[in-house]
Amino acid sequence: MEHIENITQAYTQAPWRKQLQLIGLFSLFLVFLALVAGIYLNVSAQTAKAGRDIQYMKTQIETLDREIEDMQSLLALLLSDNSMEKRALGLGYEPLEIDQAQYLLVPGYVDRDAAVLAPFTREYLAKAPVIPDRYTEPLIEWIRKQSGWISFSLPEVVP
Amino acid sequence: MNNPHNWRYSLVGALLFVMPVLIVLQMLRIKINPLQVDKLISEGKSMSGEYRTITPARGRIYDRWGHLLAGNRTAYEVGIELRKVRNPSTIAQTLNMVLGVDYAEALGAASMSATDTAVYRVVASNVEPEKIDQLKALIKQMEELYGTSRDGDAPSLNGLLFEPHLKRIYPDNELASNILGFVTVEGVGFYGVEEKYNDLLAGEESIVWVSLDPIRVKEMPQIQKGADVILTIDRAIQRSMERVIDNAIDEHGAESGTLVVIDPKTGELLAMATTPRLDINKYWKYGEVFTDETPFNRIVSQAYEPGSVFKVFTMASALDSGAVTPETEFIDTGVFEIGGTRIYNWNMGAWGPQNMQGCMQHSLNVCLAWVATQLGPKDFYRYMMSFGIGQLSGIDLAGEVSGRLKVPGDDDWYDADLGTNAFGQGVSVTPLKMASAISALANKGRIMAPHIVRSVINDGYQHDIENRVVGMPIKPETAETITRMLTRSLEKESSDALVTGYQLAGKTGTAEIPTPFGYTTNETNASFVGWGPIEDPEFLVYVWLERPESSPWGSVVAAPVFREAVEELVVLMDIPPDEVRQKLYGQ
Repeated sequence: MEHIENITQAYTQAPWRKQLQLIGLFSLFLVFLALVAGIYLNVSAQTAKAGRDIQYMKTQIETLDREIEDMQSLLALLLSDNSMEKRALGLGYEPLEIDQAQYLLVPGYVDRDAAVLAPFTREYLAKAPVIPDRYTEPLIEWIRKQSGWISFSLPEVVP
Repeated sequence: MNNPHNWRYSLVGALLFVMPVLIVLQMLRIKINPLQVDKLISEGKSMSGEYRTITPARGRIYDRWGHLLAGNRTAYEVGIELRKVRNPSTIAQTLNMVLGVDYAEALGAASMSATDTAVYRVVASNVEPEKIDQLKALIKQMEELYGTSRDGDAPSLNGLLFEPHLKRIYPDNELASNILGFVTVEGVGFYGVEEKYNDLLAGEESIVWVSLDPIRVKEMPQIQKGADVILTIDRAIQRSMERVIDNAIDEHGAESGTLVVIDPKTGELLAMATTPRLDINKYWKYGEVFTDETPFNRIVSQAYEPGSVFKVFTMASALDSGAVTPETEFIDTGVFEIGGTRIYNWNMGAWGPQNMQGCMQHSLNVCLAWVATQLGPKDFYRYMMSFGIGQLSGIDLAGEVSGRLKVPGDDDWYDADLGTNAFGQGVSVTPLKMASAISALANKGRIMAPHIVRSVINDGYQHDIENRVVGMPIKPETAETITRMLTRSLEKESSDALVTGYQLAGKTGTAEIPTPFGYTTNETNASFVGWGPIEDPEFLVYVWLERPESSPWGSVVAAPVFREAVEELVVLMDIPPDEVRQKLYGQ
């Protein structure tokens, strides 16, 4: 009995080793936790930054939209009928009277068309890019098609 | 074995046990108590974001060539964030000095105490960016001078806030104002295109939740901006016609003037010039410009008795039905009795034997009343209704009125009305209705739907409005016949409406004005309608001068206005003289 106890004692780890192992395990756990927390913080920080960027860009979009409207209006003010008339008179032009007009046939002259400020719907549809099926179909459908292609490609086995 | 420090372990153990229990209890309290749940959720929401109303930019309005007639420009709302105010009197003085806000009102607003419900107060709206720049410069100056001062009475503009938004701007001010209408500070369109197409132009306002927590920021929904519209109006023609009518009013001392230019083949309105006109950038002066019951746009909103220009309908109907031909003879004795009423000519004279050409050329009331009786009341009014008289034209402008055509069966219709209606008395129409209905004569008998919007740009695509035929009251041959008759009339009369080099068809009109006590004798409505070039009409012009002082006659005051308008039109529309045109066709 004493012999057995001696053997057990001989293979039993010293208390300080056990403590060291526990501390090691705990430290490992802490490191793991720190890693997870670090990753979480990193991702959160990136998300928050992206969120802030989005908020900033939204404000930018609103500002730019307003600036575009302002520019369009400024351009319209500069090209307004009054303004253009003043500039024309300032440059020495004068309104054309009917008896001053002379009509000439200019070969190839095409009369101006009324304003087209955006594409017409049907024209747009005709030119719309066609998205290949593989970008829109479900994965299963794609696999089914692929397998069909493979089986179709295989030489038929004649029994 | 008893450790004297055991109680400490027990205490720590108890704390470690109690704390999670408390946490669990609090969680249960939050989760289970419905009152608490709602309150906490709403508190959490109020701190994590806000509801924001997004108003899309109002759609632009262009003329037919793409010139901007109505756009948007940045303006600011000036407000006070009550919590941040340090010196109310500085704010009040500054707002009074720069924006002209009442000092007492501004001081009252700035002196308010901030509470849970009172955090912000608006003091001025629609402020120009230049004024905001002035305010910003003053804020900066005060920051530099007194920013570090601990004196509570030191001048400070802390708390002033500027919120940008878009407001309507009309680059050409008064030009085409009667057509466009205007938009108030609340963003609501009044009159004209702005009112008629308000829903389309304004787009759809949206209330969206905007998270203040950057982690929870979501993509904002795409708010569709208001649709843009392209009008049929030609800015240059509109401007020119406004000048012509303004000059005519000055020259003839008329109370008002109206001039409509329509393309008879499409129903597109090229110009609608009338008076008075308002600088729609200052729409709040509406009351000063439109006094009493003056309509915003006489062309669609004021019906009047047109007089002799109406004879073209009577003659066209009679020719179309076969009741008369251009050669039909009529002996004018100077008076015609119908339904107990005696009808006389404009000069009270008897013109003797006349054919229908002569009746139109001399604008004989007696003859036209007789023509109406040849047609009979049933057919006469059937034709008038097919011309659309007494009905709305359906134009896409706000405020259209229909005028009045009494028909047999109405309580106030009498036999005499057939005779008087034949020369445009006892029937009321708007200038637009006259122009639209007479365009049938210039367009092979077809009336096209009059319209002011040519295209709509919505969702990035342009949709053109198709031209529609709304009626065919007379046959193409009749239209050609009456056009020839009216062309000869102008030429034989050496009318003031004639334009060298161009064959035009036209008819004058002079109408006495009805009052509660009968028709006026010294005041008239002078009108003229004409179209050309007669081989291939590209325009129809309708002129109306209200109560001209220089002369009561349409042939004297309205016909020259038509000529001036056409002289401008042929240049602006690049219409060659008939001789050149024939050569061009020959090639």
